[in-house]
Amino acid sequence: MERYSNGDDAAFGELYDAIAPRLLGFLRKATRDGCATEDLMQQTFLHIHRARGSFIPGAPVMPWVFAITRRLVIDVARRQRVEQGLFARVPADDERTRYEPAAETATTGDVLDARRLERRVQQRLDALPETQRTAYQLVKQEGVSLKRAAELLGISVTAVKLRTHRAYVALRGVLGDESALS
Amino acid sequence: MSAELKAQVLAAVAAEPSPARAAVERRNAVITIIAAASGIGAFLVFASFISNGQMLRLGGEIAPHYHVERSIGLVVTTAGGALGIAAMALWLALGRGRSMLGRSRSWLLCGGALVPIGLLAWKVGCSLTFGYAMVPWPDRPGLRCLALSLLVATGPLLAFLAMRRSAPIHPALNGASMGVAAGACAWVAVDLWCPVAFVPHLLIGHVLPLLILAGTGALLGQALLSVRGRLR
Repeated sequence: MERYSNGDDAAFGELYDAIAPRLLGFLRKATRDGCATEDLMQQTFLHIHRARGSFIPGAPVMPWVFAITRRLVIDVARRQRVEQGLFARVPADDERTRYEPAAETATTGDVLDARRLERRVQQRLDALPETQRTAYQLVKQEGVSLKRAAELLGISVTAVKLRTHRAYVALRGVLGDESALS
Repeated sequence: MSAELKAQVLAAVAAEPSPARAAVERRNAVITIIAAASGIGAFLVFASFISNGQMLRLGGEIAPHYHVERSIGLVVTTAGGALGIAAMALWLALGRGRSMLGRSRSWLLCGGALVPIGLLAWKVGCSLTFGYAMVPWPDRPGLRCLALSLLVATGPLLAFLAMRRSAPIHPALNGASMGVAAGACAWVAVDLWCPVAFVPHLLIGHVLPLLILAGTGALLGQALLSVRGRLR
């Protein structure tokens, strides 16, 4: 990065080789979509490229790169949520069954309950503050370590634990409400 | 990892020119000069229209037959201290430490809160030690100082945002911090021009513009500095 920021254009290939594998892994987990992964990968490198002149000599590269990537992922997810809100679509039949592997053995009531619970959990997750949701998704859903999550989010490990715990408590509250109802 | 993706990324990067460090440093130097010139120019224009070209005002008549005047020592002390605090605010807002992520949230929040408090405390503290400096000026609520602060600080704030360009984390806080730094620079100029140290006047004319600039900086920072993505 040092050489690239000083104007050595050939160094970009090496930079790409050093960063891309870790970035690709992160993006695949975050998006679960090949096209989106490639798109976001390209955008991340474009951001690095645009900011190369302001790179601080000796600064660690990966936290910066992951911070850019995380912002891009969050931004794209937000846009998609807005678009989904605007053009609410009914999921296709094959899409519904894909998420219901137990549908054949479960009763209709069980399936409806599970679907309602899933919807409520998702709604609660969406309603969480961005900071809590991101920490929860990274740690609990993506399986990222606390230390790595702290690096990615630019906060301390304690703060990651706190945010994840708060999100967890909020989501557990939904399950509590459901069991009280049933 | 596909070679096709790498070729695609390399082609996209090659198609978009991006200045290297030397060019960015030159550009930032030019922006700094323009920002300083715009601030000083705004101050000169304001002073020439409002107070017949006086850039250093020591006092005047605040009631019939009642004159109050600051001493040069008071002006030098208050403006000098404000200059020091403004330098710290600039260091906090524009410096990024040794990380490309910039200052942490706590640094930005503490700096954003402490700079206005520090400036006000310095001004009041110095004025208290100089006798008559704190007397009320009934016809000076502080609106002209407010206008002068905003006028002087606008150019520097835009310049700071142009120099930073991108903040992957806390873009709004970074913008707010830049607003406070620009306001602190304007405070020094206003301190030379304004002889009033009456606290309600200071709150409206000197501290309020810092808060306005912090808010504007936060909005602009969120809009201009944050990293945005879009899927094709």
